[in-house]
Amino acid sequence: MAIYTRGGFALPETSLASKTGTWRLQRPIHRHSSAPCHTACPAGEDPQAYLAQVAEGRWREAWETLVAANPLPAITGRVCDHPCESGCNRGQYDEAIAIHNVERFLGDQAIREGWAYPVTPPSVNAHRVAVVGAGPAGLSAAYHLCRLGYQVTLLDMLPEAGGTLRTALPPYRLPREVLAQETQRLLAIGIEFLAHHALGRDVSLDELCADYGAVFLAPGRQQGREWSVDGRVPADLHTGLRLLQEWVAVGTIPKVKSAAIVGGGNSAVDLARVLRKTGAEVHVITHDALPKLGVPPEGAMKAIPREVKQAQEEGVMFHEHRGIQRLLLRGERVVGVEMVHMKKLPRPDGSIGIVPFEGTETVLHVEQIIPAIGQVVLAAGMERILEGSPFFAVDLWGHVANHPGVFAGGDARKGSRGTVSGAVGDGRRAALAIDGYLKGVATVEHHTEAIPLESLNLNYFEHEPRAEEPLLAVEQRSGDAEVAGGLVEPQVMAESLRCFSCGMCLACDNCWTLCPDQSVLKIKELASDGSHYVFDYDYCKGCGLCARECPSGYIVMEDELLFAGRY
Amino acid sequence: MSDLAGTLIPIVDLRRNQPRFRGLEAGHLACLGCGQALAARLVTEAAGPDVVVANATGCLEVFTTAWPQSAWRVPWLHSLFENAAAVASGMEAALKAQGKSAKVLAFGGDGGTFDIGFQALSGMLERGHNVLYVCFDNEAYMNTGVQRSSSTPHAAMTTTSPPGKARMGKRHLKKDIISIIAAHNIPYAATASVAYPSDIRKKVRRALEIDGPAFINIHSPCPLGWGHDGSLSIEVARLAVECGLFPVVELERGALTGTMPLRAPRPVTDYLKPQQRFAHLFQNDPRAREELEHLQALADYNIETYGLRGERPDPLDSAGADTVRRGGVRWA
Amino acid sequence: MLQALEGSQAIAQAVALCRPQVVAAYPITPQTHIVEGLARLIADGKLQCELVSVESEFSAASVALGAVAAGSRVYTASASQGILLMSEVLYNIAGLRVPLVMTCANRAVSAPLSIWNDQQDSMAVRDAGWIQLYCADNQEAVDTTVQAYRIAERTELPVMVCVDGFTLTHTLEPLEIPPQDQVDAFLPPFRFARALDPSYPVSSGTLVSPEYYTEARHAHHQALLRAKDEIVAADSDWAVLTGRASGGLLQVDGPDDARVAILTLGSVFGTLLDAREEYPQLGPVKLIKLRAFRPFPVEALQQVCVGLSDVIVLERALSPGSGGIAGAEVRAALAELPAAPRVHNFAAGLGGRDVPLDIYPRLLAATQSASPVRFAILDVELDKLPVEDR
Ligand SMILES: Cc1cc2nc3c(=O)[nH]c(=O)nc-3n(C[C@H](O)[C@H](O)[C@H](O)COP(=O)(O)OP(=O)(O)OC[C@H]3O[C@@H](n4cnc5c(N)ncnc54)[C@H](O)[C@@H]3O)c2cc1C
Ligand SMILES: Cc1ncc(C[n+]2csc(CCOP(=O)(O)OP(=O)(O)O)c2C)c(N)n1
Ligand code: SF4
Ligand code: SF4
Ligand code: SF4
Ligand SMILES: [Mg+2]
Repeated sequence: MAIYTRGGFALPETSLASKTGTWRLQRPIHRHSSAPCHTACPAGEDPQAYLAQVAEGRWREAWETLVAANPLPAITGRVCDHPCESGCNRGQYDEAIAIHNVERFLGDQAIREGWAYPVTPPSVNAHRVAVVGAGPAGLSAAYHLCRLGYQVTLLDMLPEAGGTLRTALPPYRLPREVLAQETQRLLAIGIEFLAHHALGRDVSLDELCADYGAVFLAPGRQQGREWSVDGRVPADLHTGLRLLQEWVAVGTIPKVKSAAIVGGGNSAVDLARVLRKTGAEVHVITHDALPKLGVPPEGAMKAIPREVKQAQEEGVMFHEHRGIQRLLLRGERVVGVEMVHMKKLPRPDGSIGIVPFEGTETVLHVEQIIPAIGQVVLAAGMERILEGSPFFAVDLWGHVANHPGVFAGGDARKGSRGTVSGAVGDGRRAALAIDGYLKGVATVEHHTEAIPLESLNLNYFEHEPRAEEPLLAVEQRSGDAEVAGGLVEPQVMAESLRCFSCGMCLACDNCWTLCPDQSVLKIKELASDGSHYVFDYDYCKGCGLCARECPSGYIVMEDELLFAGRY
Repeated sequence: MSDLAGTLIPIVDLRRNQPRFRGLEAGHLACLGCGQALAARLVTEAAGPDVVVANATGCLEVFTTAWPQSAWRVPWLHSLFENAAAVASGMEAALKAQGKSAKVLAFGGDGGTFDIGFQALSGMLERGHNVLYVCFDNEAYMNTGVQRSSSTPHAAMTTTSPPGKARMGKRHLKKDIISIIAAHNIPYAATASVAYPSDIRKKVRRALEIDGPAFINIHSPCPLGWGHDGSLSIEVARLAVECGLFPVVELERGALTGTMPLRAPRPVTDYLKPQQRFAHLFQNDPRAREELEHLQALADYNIETYGLRGERPDPLDSAGADTVRRGGVRWA
Repeated sequence: MLQALEGSQAIAQAVALCRPQVVAAYPITPQTHIVEGLARLIADGKLQCELVSVESEFSAASVALGAVAAGSRVYTASASQGILLMSEVLYNIAGLRVPLVMTCANRAVSAPLSIWNDQQDSMAVRDAGWIQLYCADNQEAVDTTVQAYRIAERTELPVMVCVDGFTLTHTLEPLEIPPQDQVDAFLPPFRFARALDPSYPVSSGTLVSPEYYTEARHAHHQALLRAKDEIVAADSDWAVLTGRASGGLLQVDGPDDARVAILTLGSVFGTLLDAREEYPQLGPVKLIKLRAFRPFPVEALQQVCVGLSDVIVLERALSPGSGGIAGAEVRAALAELPAAPRVHNFAAGLGGRDVPLDIYPRLLAATQSASPVRFAILDVELDKLPVEDR
């Protein structure tokens, strides 16, 4: 029983005896939601997480967070089509965070500083896993398997690792120095790399299956497709990829006055730019639309928009929604093509077809026609798995149906994204699946919805322009000089500070500042949920103000009933 | 007692070790999301421990000090409804006589400030006491159950200005207190909003640096009296500023020396709509439309009179002043 | 050393001797001369003190409250309308149990407007929870003022020193102003345990629930009752120091064998002393000066009234519709005595009406009446009133 104080005075902070938390009908909790940059990243990166570390100047930790998903950031930072940026919430506010450039900076920094991958070498008696193909899919699988503690043997028929990145990507987009550094550093974590080893020639799939606990197949698409127009093929036909590979390998390219390239992927655009540099008049003919705002990804050219843009700057001419209806031949030599407007439209049966529109034919005079319409898997050694189809049919985890222990991914699988980040993601998921397979547990998917812009409180952010990378002027784009430069440290830092931190604590102090009930407490150490604050449920009345005002949507209100007995 | 997940620091120790001064503790009995509780917390935080507070009767007084408890951690005295300024004057005179340096703060609601305590406040200002008077303006007598005050906005519903067949809420205008205060030619008078905590902090510090009387009127939403969810207190306060109905300004010796410019003034309806006290203005009734126009005109008038329209985006304008950054306040 | 001083100036000097740190007051006749006197002392550098010239009595009392709460010795003074305007604060000061001293220069209360003396103003706030001491002359006003600080500070109760307006405040009398060292020896520096202090930040003026309000009131009542000892002690200690006493709770003057007593408050006591000398033929009469009206000295009063047949209460205020105020309380107190004297109650001297010496025989005439005079206002000239108001 309280004893009345003279004049009725009270001692400081004695209100703490009033546990106003009992008033609460809802309680605020910290809930990490996936940022859209994360859910959009095919490689599985969480840019939100490493941007946060960059913002705090923890560069190496940021890189480690990054390579926990993608071991090739210097590469993807340069060549990825960065769907993360298309998904970035900030894009709806002003401009997306330049995630690829942060990624590139971290990758380059790791190379410069010689930061070792955070991997402990597998023990000698660990399970052995074989990986076929040292492109990004194979490299990623090998790396993640290694991280999971497996002994990995990586074989490739080529003398060096890198796959298509090495054989076809123009060096002005991906300097070979960067490629070499990153792949070598990666292999150095303890991956046994067998160069000049072709599956089907030097070793059979059965042998691999016998010697290894599991096999991951990532051979990419090395086999050109048949191409003709109404059954007619020009005499000097070369596929675009072949020409590009030759140019990359030995620097030669056919000298022509004019050429039309058929296709809308990266090969078409890269070849167009390479040809254009020789002074030729270059046309790209594609069924798809040029990438621009409002065009859904499935209707747009597969090539990376920024590459298309650079090609246009360089004078390549694009003909969107066009197909070739007829070759204009003089003998077996091409003198031109007849183009027609075409569009992908749903057929009555629901499938999508490409419909030409009569009366829209035009003629384009060109000396050469080059198909760049994609490749299929080189089946040698893997016929029994492919069973006649051009690609592997696998599930999300790369399981090849009816072939336990055999996994596949990367470009070689049906429905692949056809990108480096897609390949890296396939490799990572397959590694997890192989781990599950060898341990006898099912691999489950943690599907998370990305937090939408509406869940953020944008009042707390200021408009800030995005840092753009420097580009070589068109006249200076020659030889192997890298066209796109990177950002410098202050720019990277500025980008990280632009990040909304969607779905994760921004450590901005807003809840701490705004709680009328002094029920948000700040902690020096990181709380187990990764934030810097804890709710004091003894006093929190559950007004919801903190949740409403949390800039990053990290605080949500839950009905108190859900917590009955957990107080 | 809950322990912190993972860190094993008892939460009471954590509370004791916050990297800011806690002038107003938890356990007070304000309604959920009370703007005044937050504003008072922010003011005492910014002012620090070396203060003495005189508090007028009103919600703040009642919800902080239900004997034998007190939520305050600063020396604090409540006397009456209408005399906070005079009690503060006495405190200041006493501290001066004793050669002590503690700063004197006076707290009052709009009722205690605009109305019943106005004379005492005017006297305090005129006599030049070194006191910072803070009015927590929630635009009605809340503690007695939401009656109109001279601070209640035009057309707002209160229990003594109910809308009905013959009336559209309060007939009169909100008193222009800041001009009246500034007319005392005091060194510092300002308005602020609970939606802009850093602005409040800055103004409190500035006011305390000044030798002489200072006054800050802080717009502090009352979820109960205004009829909005407690979670919306900041949002509503922000909209009041952004539409121009609550201009955030500073006046020194009567001269306008600072404003929070509006980057893009919002229509007053954005502010009025979430509040039940203006619900009658959204009926299909020509009188309601007229009152909405009237309120818009009042906002436009404020924008014009104080020159609130920002010319270009400014980090201290209505859209920039609440910008947060990663990392917040660092531990020392 | 005797000096001839106006009452107000004497009081101002007495206040100054108590070394107040804050003085807040607002002009009102007949109090004004006191605060003017203090202002002059401050202006002349004879008193170091914050003089807060407030904009109302309400603020005067509030400033005083704030200043004591912050740990200073304070002083304020008022009268009449000022006292009533202060009344809310007066209750508040008392309930907060902060010690301070104020002078009430007693004056009638409007309407009709009168600036002249009676005691309606202090009587109106008798229930505010203050100690009220009434002074019979200016020497008492000086001595009581000094004593009041010691009583207030020891009991943590406010003290109102009541001094009849004009009759005392504006009257020149020879009196003794005590030397500073005497006052200092009597009155230690003020230390207020509950003073607002950042190093011990208590909250005062809280909201108290019905479970405790009754106890708070009880405590207050007891504090006032216990203050009687402090009032007595202060007066006797002061007497030891100065040779002058003011009567403690009450003072009786007259022969032991007197069976009749006249009780009054304030300066009328002096008039009655003179009158008794003027009318020796009217027999032995005791004169009782009720110095402490709050706390009301029931036991002391009973003690001095044992054996009396008649007690006549003469007061300068009334409770319209009821009658006398002091009279009712005296009557109630004496009713407990085994052979209770008859109590007659009169009001006189309202709104500055002269209290002449011949009031004495008229008062004593009451003892001849068959039944005690419950209450009457003396000197009412009915023909000055319209018939229907007589
Ligand atoms: C010209 C061009 C430009 C591109 N630009 C981009 C771009 O900008 N951004 C982007 O994200 N993607 C781009 N791509 C696509 C990207 O290169 C691929 O999606 C990616 O390389 C696929 O990786 P992968 O590991 O699945 O296959 P690959 O990179 O093709 O690697 C497969 C590897 O397997 C080896 N191999 C195949 N068969 C066998 C066998 N039987 N035995 C042993 N080894 C075998 C091959 O030698 C090769 O090294 C481009 C592709 C091309 C052709
Ligand atoms: C002299 C006096 N009159 C009336 C009241 C009743 N009363 C107490 S608080 C209050 C209203 C307070 O309004 P405001 O100052 O705006 O503060 P709020 O409660 O809205 O925060 C009233 C009318 C009182 N305490 N004293
Ligand atoms: S703002 Fe940051 S966290 Fe949000 S989607 Fe963009 S990069 Fe990711
Ligand atoms: S603002 Fe404070 S009281 Fe309100 S829900 Fe958040 S923690 Fe609880
Ligand atoms: S009534 Fe309004 S001002 Fe009072 S405590 Fe509730 S929300 Fe706060
Ligand atoms: Mg109010």
